[in-house]
Amino acid sequence: MAEAHRNETAADSEGVDRRTVLTGASGLAMAAGLVAGYGAFGAAAARYLYPSEPAKKRWLFVVEAARMKSGDSMVFRAPDGASVAIARQSESGNVGDFLALSSVCPHLGCQVHWEGAANRFFCPCHNGTFDPSGRATGGPPGEAGQSLLRYPLKLENGLLFVEVPDVKLAATDPVKPNSGEVC
Amino acid sequence: MTLNAKRWIIAFLGFTFLASLLFVQYEEVTRRRVEVGLTSHSISIPASSKQCAECHGQLTPAILDHWKGSTHAEKGVGCVECHRAEKGDVDGFDHYGALIATVVTPRDCARCHAAVESEFARSHHAAAGNILASLDNTLAEQVEGSRTPFDPHGAPVAGRKAEPVNGMAFAQVGCQQCHGSKVALKATDGSKVTVDDLKPGPDGKPTNLDAVGKVLKDQNGKPMFDAGSWPNTGIGRLNLDGSKGSCSACHSRHDFSPRRARQPENCGKCHLGPDHPQKEIYEESKHGVAYRDLKDKMNLDAPKWVLGKDYTQAPTCATCHMSGNLRNGGRVTHDPGERISWTNRPPISLPMDTDAEHRVITEADSEKRAKLIADTAEAKRTRMKEVCSHCHTSDYVNLFYKQYDDFVALYNEKFAKPGKLIMDTLVKADLITKKQFDEPVEWSWYLLWHHEGRRARHGASMMAPDYAHWHGTFEVAERFYEHMIPQVREIVEKARAEGKTDAAKQVEDVVNEILNRPEHSYILKQK
Amino acid sequence: MQTPIGFVRERLPISGDRLRELTNEPVPHHLKRWWFALGGTPAYLFVVQIVTGILLAFYYQPAPGTAYESVRSITEDVAFGWFLRGVHRWGATLMVAAVILHQMRVFFTGAYRKPREINWMVGMCLLLCTLMLGFTGYSLVYEQLSFWGATVAANVAEGTPLIGGMLKRFLLAGDTYNDHTLPRFFILHAALLPMALAGLVVLHILIIRLQGVTELEFENEPEEEKQSHFNFFPDHFYTELMIGLLLMILLSALATIFPAAMGPRADPLTTPEIIKPEWYFYVAFRWLKLFSGTAAILSMGFIVFTMFFWPFVDAWIRRRTRFPEASVWIGAIAALAIIGLTLWEASVAH
Repeated sequence: MAEAHRNETAADSEGVDRRTVLTGASGLAMAAGLVAGYGAFGAAAARYLYPSEPAKKRWLFVVEAARMKSGDSMVFRAPDGASVAIARQSESGNVGDFLALSSVCPHLGCQVHWEGAANRFFCPCHNGTFDPSGRATGGPPGEAGQSLLRYPLKLENGLLFVEVPDVKLAATDPVKPNSGEVC
Repeated sequence: MTLNAKRWIIAFLGFTFLASLLFVQYEEVTRRRVEVGLTSHSISIPASSKQCAECHGQLTPAILDHWKGSTHAEKGVGCVECHRAEKGDVDGFDHYGALIATVVTPRDCARCHAAVESEFARSHHAAAGNILASLDNTLAEQVEGSRTPFDPHGAPVAGRKAEPVNGMAFAQVGCQQCHGSKVALKATDGSKVTVDDLKPGPDGKPTNLDAVGKVLKDQNGKPMFDAGSWPNTGIGRLNLDGSKGSCSACHSRHDFSPRRARQPENCGKCHLGPDHPQKEIYEESKHGVAYRDLKDKMNLDAPKWVLGKDYTQAPTCATCHMSGNLRNGGRVTHDPGERISWTNRPPISLPMDTDAEHRVITEADSEKRAKLIADTAEAKRTRMKEVCSHCHTSDYVNLFYKQYDDFVALYNEKFAKPGKLIMDTLVKADLITKKQFDEPVEWSWYLLWHHEGRRARHGASMMAPDYAHWHGTFEVAERFYEHMIPQVREIVEKARAEGKTDAAKQVEDVVNEILNRPEHSYILKQK
Repeated sequence: MQTPIGFVRERLPISGDRLRELTNEPVPHHLKRWWFALGGTPAYLFVVQIVTGILLAFYYQPAPGTAYESVRSITEDVAFGWFLRGVHRWGATLMVAAVILHQMRVFFTGAYRKPREINWMVGMCLLLCTLMLGFTGYSLVYEQLSFWGATVAANVAEGTPLIGGMLKRFLLAGDTYNDHTLPRFFILHAALLPMALAGLVVLHILIIRLQGVTELEFENEPEEEKQSHFNFFPDHFYTELMIGLLLMILLSALATIFPAAMGPRADPLTTPEIIKPEWYFYVAFRWLKLFSGTAAILSMGFIVFTMFFWPFVDAWIRRRTRFPEASVWIGAIAALAIIGLTLWEASVAH
């Protein structure tokens, strides 16, 4: 390393040293070029890492409306595994009769479940409770005045559809040949 | 190279790199757009059918894979949504906790596709099962086969057990696979249970519980089908719930592909062959030739597939007879008869004036006729012309229809009406029996209208000159002059020899009157 | 009042002089010639591979059931996934090419001679590491080539005397390709080999810094330029920046114009009719077809061994024979043989 300073002729002869490297037109242009090129690459990489279609949703068939009477309820399982409680509350014949509630507690994201005897949804994490329309009646969500998330519903030709997040089902394993198991 | 120059070069290269990444961005956007068009749709197995998929993914992987490619899969319609049975359904059975039925009928499909089903139900397609009591059926069940089973004669064929011969096999495998079977369950007493025994009510539930009680079930409680009636996807199938038809006749299970239903090959399962070669006729026509060439550009996967919007390259069967187009607001019909102005099915072609029940009106009295008509042939023709007009001018279309009408009229007047008159006279004069296919002249007449005459008329209707002429009118003429007339004259002579002079004269007068008409003068001069 | 710079200075004893000292390796004048800057190219590409590789690993799933689907998803679904995969794939190809070119330059200029024998051997390790990275890389896609390439390689390794069976079991994590094979390749490709490569690169550069770059003279140079040096920074650094940008442009173009495709998914039941490794293994592939089993392994082992210890072999030739420049001829013949075998393999189907 002692020889490091031995010969700086090339740089010195042109009167450029480290401090002036980034000054002057050519220096600025070089910096701009480098930032533009590698910056664009970085932007592409960032876009790559950001989830592609975060909020893609899909209307899925639930049931023929006529099969549910007022007071009936059912659980619909969305492709991402979330269970959606769907209930019919009146018989007017339009989509307003129906209610689709998320089973995710708005407090901290635990799964609520229906307690038929108490006529309420119950969250076991912090004892949150919700009435049949999804409004919180007790526990931390009750204090915060939160409600269970509602999924959009639509009626088409008497068929009930719910809009839920779409999950691309990985092609997973190719179909395995019959292993001879008796199903 | 000076440092300054190097810096400029680096600046230049940096921006070039940026430019190349902009090109990458452009590619990315283009690719996305293409991908959206192709919509590699995602599917998920509905929770209701998870259990089905677990077993059937192993046992019948193709069914599951086929379904994965369907719009049903995209919209979350799984196995039980269609195969679901209700309590009281005669063919319902408990399958690992789910009450299901094997055969999915139009009534099941109508749970979601009600409008489509009602269009289909009034179509001639849905009535295809009526053949079970028709002339053609005599042919397959009696002339070709035997309505009663019989014992094999002599030693059985090597390698086969001696067992009674099913005389209905020809009809079951031939006729009924297109026209539809009468779905039958085995009964405990050895008979069969069909829709006739069950007498289903308007809700499709059987009203005759005695018939339900005698259905034979296997050890799992699953009702057993009569092999003669199932498997069957004939378009006029007579189902146990009283509904008619089978949607999978065209929308083959289990992907129910609209794409496939739009292609002529789909119709070609039934509309082909010597008696009504519509598919071959189409293939000969300019329409079919264009389709073969341009199929790839026809956007067959489009969700709506509206002529004039989604494609214009060529028409398929569906384009003209069923699919939506720009002029009709994209309305699809599941009654292919809605745009057909002649029915060329019977011996004598009739205009498609239909009554409220969608039956062709045969009433001759014009006043009575006018009262009966619910939808005229002219209205049907107008609907077809809407399709034609996407590619052809109105002059062109009108003149084509003039050619077609003239063709049908010539066939009707020169051969069909005379032929029918002769056959009716023969029966009236008691020179042939009412029984079909027991005299050579009956075969000739049948071939004339049912095979050759239809080929000619269908050929004319769909612009296939070879079918109109060589496979059509040429053979009609030959059949009439060289087979039918000589056979009739032979019958007349035989009758005269037997002393039935009046009958012989009655027939001879009719034949001579016909042949003395000016349109037959050429032949008369030769003879 | 302390300035922020002062705050940092107090805690990190860095000064301009020290930086200058660290980076101002005096660079011999011959490095102004482009083809002497080939050593920096694979190093730069290695950085590109690390960056793109880390990005790909965000979405890649190393299990037989999911690997292919995840690569497909990167290629088709994820934004710019096809591009990054293309850059990674082409980066690999260019890196192998650059390493080979750099090695040939070193060989034909005799830059491996005393006292630089050890660095040559480090360089050989770098070459082998790079090739192994290439091989494990395309094994991860889990397409037909990945599966059968790994199977064939394992069976080749089995031909090694004494330890063959053990090698194969080590490579495949069993007697045949199984659920544990792919994670093994993944860890090799994404962790062990890059770490080894990085360590070797540091060692390689450290040794260069300790020994100084080989100085070469050219006859057509003006006298004052001979023996002259210029500073690494900024002059040679600019050169490297230019090379880096040119490489990025080239990689972007290649990745866009010839995007990385996907072969058919691995099918353990069907060996494809025509199966070929990446081009840089053509030589070995052809060699294996020319000589059977153990003979091929042993001969290849011998060749690699000789290459590894070439500085000493060369020294022995120079000391003991009358042909001091024999290495040039031997190198030329070897290079021609390698090119010939590669072209042969490339031109035939089987």
